[in-house]
Amino acid sequence: MLNAIQTDGLTKRWGDLRAVDELDLAVPPGECYAFLGRNGSGKSTTARMLLDFIRPTSGTMSVLGGKASDPAIRARVGYLPGDLNLPRTMTGNDAFDYFGRFRHDAEPAERASLIERFGLDPSRPVHELSTGNRRKVGLILAFMTSPELLILDEPTSGLDPVLQEEFRDLLAERKANGATIWLTSHVMAEVARVADRVGMIDDGSLIREMTLEELRHQATTEITLGFTEPVAASAFDGVASVTAVDVDGEDLRLSIRGPVAAALTRAGELGAVRIETDQNDLDSIFIELLAGKVSS
Amino acid sequence: MSATWAVYRRWLRDRRLSTVSWTFGLIVIVVATAAFYPALGSSTEALASGGSEAMSSLLGLSAGIDPGSPLGYLWIGLYANILPWTLMALGVSLGSSAIAGDEGTGALEYLLSGPVTRTQVLFGRFMAAITVLVVVSVVSGLSLVVSMPFFELTDEVTTTLPDGTTQGEPGATIANVVDGTVSAFAVALGLTAIAFLIGAVSGRKSWALGGASALGIGGYVLYTLSSMTSSLEALTWLSSWRWYVDDVMLINGLDWEVLIPFGVTVVAVLLGWRAFLGRDLQSS
Repeated sequence: MLNAIQTDGLTKRWGDLRAVDELDLAVPPGECYAFLGRNGSGKSTTARMLLDFIRPTSGTMSVLGGKASDPAIRARVGYLPGDLNLPRTMTGNDAFDYFGRFRHDAEPAERASLIERFGLDPSRPVHELSTGNRRKVGLILAFMTSPELLILDEPTSGLDPVLQEEFRDLLAERKANGATIWLTSHVMAEVARVADRVGMIDDGSLIREMTLEELRHQATTEITLGFTEPVAASAFDGVASVTAVDVDGEDLRLSIRGPVAAALTRAGELGAVRIETDQNDLDSIFIELLAGKVSS
Repeated sequence: MSATWAVYRRWLRDRRLSTVSWTFGLIVIVVATAAFYPALGSSTEALASGGSEAMSSLLGLSAGIDPGSPLGYLWIGLYANILPWTLMALGVSLGSSAIAGDEGTGALEYLLSGPVTRTQVLFGRFMAAITVLVVVSVVSGLSLVVSMPFFELTDEVTTTLPDGTTQGEPGATIANVVDGTVSAFAVALGLTAIAFLIGAVSGRKSWALGGASALGIGGYVLYTLSSMTSSLEALTWLSSWRWYVDDVMLINGLDWEVLIPFGVTVVAVLLGWRAFLGRDLQSS
């Protein structure tokens, strides 16, 4: 089966600036792929190439098995830009009518359902709406035709927590219906609940790809042990899963990747009187990965 | 309904209010100019007879037009300056907005994320821009045709020449207004197309506005200065003002040179189309 998105050696340069460099992506149909990176890392440039707004300097790509420049292909793609800009006179309803008109399979019932779901007043000019409400308009535009492929640039930016939850539910429904989702974000925790796979881009290069399961295995547990008198860090030398030990007065802070049983047994042998645990969040992993602190 | 037609209609709809404003403003200018004719006919004659060659050129009087006659008055009061300048300003604004305007805000990018081709957007919007220019031009001409009889502009007048003989000057006709309006429209059309071309090639509205305006104003300055020094004569071919002012089509009727801006428009749109298809969109 053809991949929904396939890029081979995709490169975009502007003079000396290497915006995207030799990017190889393969997103199979039905997958939710999160493209993570810092601001300016090349995420949006990749999205803009996938939609034929800009042309690659070199490399090849296909979207839904065809060329992004083909309007018949783009008819099957829903797009949410990082910042939705529409003509000043356009209301939400105007936008839904206008952009829906180009897609002959636009579904009025789906559109009405999404408007109600996101609680949007579609009669107001879009440029007068708050950032969050403009985001809602963009989401409805992207989803209202039930596209086969969704390209979403920072989709939850500007949405409140309740709407973020609603968005994640919607994404899960579309994924269950077979849609492929390609989204960008710089917040790892945001995508952890929806993505099947994550690609990390930095300075235009894909530095790592992994499944969410692999990602979670990267998570470390921080355990702080309290003792009645100072204990040397070397007391945990050779203890399974312990990757680092810091001494802080009568406390020891352990970093553990993997099972914690051996560390807890050793703590009991040493007479620990207090224990506090803290799991590194996914954003910390993201930062560590980008900083090259976690080996691949 | 084709995508080109949908793009065309939407772009017109987005400019409904501004089109009405331009049209209303031009109607006021045209009718006010016509209304002053009975009172100012002799004043313009005095101004013309006492002015320098450069002043005559500025007023568009180099063709030896009698400013006291209805057609002479309409020429110096409306067609030599105000009407073409106003239509040019509108055209440059429309031409620079058609592609580059929305591109700068990101609105064009969103439109092109759907099943619409760049070709459909380019031609739909250019046709819409020209439609606005046509509507405003036609309404300005119509407002003059309707108001002329009320202000003696259709009446024949008799003027006394310096040698004491008298001469009859015809009143303005609908044909004069059509010829004058078409030629003023043509001047504006050429600069609209230049603004459109620069916008389609660069994606930058400021470049389109600046480039087309500089060409329009520069051409006018060149033409005016050429009346004082023949060394600039060769450069005036760049300017539509050369044939527009020299030929005075309001009075003398249309000639082939009015087709020049139409030819420029065809070339500009084709060049803009080719460039727009091949380039990256500017990010907002």
